[in-house]
Amino acid sequence: MRLRLFRAGSMPAALAQARAELGDEALILSSRRVGGGVEVTAALEHEPEPYRAPEPEIPPRATDLAVLNWHGVPAPIAERLGQGPLAQTLANLLRFGELPLGAACQPLLLTGPPGAGKTLTTARLATRLVLGGVAPLVITADGRRAGAAEELAAYTRLLGISLVVASHPATLVRALQHRPAAAPVLIDTAGIDPFDSGQMEAITALIATASALPIMVLPAGYDPMESAEQAAAFAAVGVRHFIPTRLDLARRLGSVVAAAIAGSMTLSEAGTGAGATDGLTPLTAEFLAGRLSRRPVPRPRKVPDANSKFV
Amino acid sequence: MQIRNLSEPRPRRRAGAPLLTAVASGKGGVGKTWFSVTLAQTLARAAQRVLLFDGDLGLANVDIQLGLNPGYDLGSVLSGKVSMPDAVQRCVPGGFDVLAGRSGSGALASLGTDAVDQMLAGLARMPYDHVLLDLSAGLDPATQRMAAGADILLVIATDEPTSLTDAYAVIKLHAAAVPDGEVRLVINQAASDTAGHRTYATLARACTQFLGRTPVLAGIVRRDDKVRDAIRRQMPLLSRHPASIAGADVARIAGNLSSL
Repeated sequence: MRLRLFRAGSMPAALAQARAELGDEALILSSRRVGGGVEVTAALEHEPEPYRAPEPEIPPRATDLAVLNWHGVPAPIAERLGQGPLAQTLANLLRFGELPLGAACQPLLLTGPPGAGKTLTTARLATRLVLGGVAPLVITADGRRAGAAEELAAYTRLLGISLVVASHPATLVRALQHRPAAAPVLIDTAGIDPFDSGQMEAITALIATASALPIMVLPAGYDPMESAEQAAAFAAVGVRHFIPTRLDLARRLGSVVAAAIAGSMTLSEAGTGAGATDGLTPLTAEFLAGRLSRRPVPRPRKVPDANSKFV
Repeated sequence: MQIRNLSEPRPRRRAGAPLLTAVASGKGGVGKTWFSVTLAQTLARAAQRVLLFDGDLGLANVDIQLGLNPGYDLGSVLSGKVSMPDAVQRCVPGGFDVLAGRSGSGALASLGTDAVDQMLAGLARMPYDHVLLDLSAGLDPATQRMAAGADILLVIATDEPTSLTDAYAVIKLHAAAVPDGEVRLVINQAASDTAGHRTYATLARACTQFLGRTPVLAGIVRRDDKVRDAIRRQMPLLSRHPASIAGADVARIAGNLSSL
């Protein structure tokens, strides 16, 4: 605030002085008679905002669109992800959450195309539960693939839990009726083609029979558009959870983002290794941001030796 | 240690805790320290337990005005040498306690907000009815923080344009830090009651127009030669001159404060 006193023979003269000096925005704070005239106190609030120490904050780092592009994130999504720090925009755009693995929870049913890693993911979830002191009921509904049950049985034997093979919905119902109290249920299923309506009807029936929470298992590194369409197809039959696998092998994660968005699915875990004990990592916005904000340094190519001969 | 985010609603004063009254002016030389001392003495005479805290961290001078020779001061407390209650000194003629600042130590003037908050929390735990914070002139962050942390901010101004401008700046910064803070104006060295009211109206008008809030008038203290005399003799006013115009004016302000 600038404050000035003006003295003049008359009030209009003092006011005129104030306006001339401080401008039309001058505020007359007070006036009084003084010997032979008038004194006017006028003020003008013109100061800049008082200086305040800046809040220590991390400046929002613009996300490198080129890196997202390298990952194969579809352009419209990349643009939205690029509007702020990646962990934040991912958290806004995608859903992240934990798998309901408790005792009283719905059975978890893993579905996805063949070779996605459903059986290994089932084994990993079972391992995690056992290590946490809870023995789950593990069911495989995969009656089609030769050796499918054997593969899972190798894990459940190691874990000391039993495996129920339920190739028919009726067997599945019976197995669930004998579910031990307080036991979480994991159901592994046969790989299916999400664009085959017959197979999708079968999985829908299985989900309904078990009153299960279906989880889509999809490997990373595939074509983002293909993955997005697969996710949309699974979402159409009510799948709302997504566990991407092979994050240890795939370098490009655009398909994971594209699928999660296309299916409006919640990301909870990611397959990140070969082992049954350490192969699942909680999938958070920060984790995904870390993976999406880097691209691997290309390996130096071998320079052909000038003397080498082509055979 | 509790650090309060000053943009959040102010917590209610704990039952039994002292009323923290900060005294600020922006400009120096308007009688702020004199007013704090006299207010402390007046409250003490009304059987209130009073601690006068010299919040002038750079150039503390409450002890000089009272002719005290403090063994310990705020610096001793902040360095952990003594506890806050142990650093308090009795001002016998005044009937109140003093926690002295440290004169001439620039290091304390740049006290961080955490340390200020810690200090205020310590003061709020002291066994008094009133803690008066005699703040330094100027608007450094530590001073602003102390003003923001007090229950009431008394702003002292005279009719000089520089004083009005600086008092306005104090109120403006305080309003930004504590939107619902309680600010009251003391017009000091007024030629008369009427003149004092005119000065108050001038400053209040600027606050209303520019800040959208009108500080309440705590009171007018009329100019009094006995004040100068008491300061020169390093004695509290009421000890040197039990009856005086300025003393009566401060008593009115104290009466309003102690009813809170």
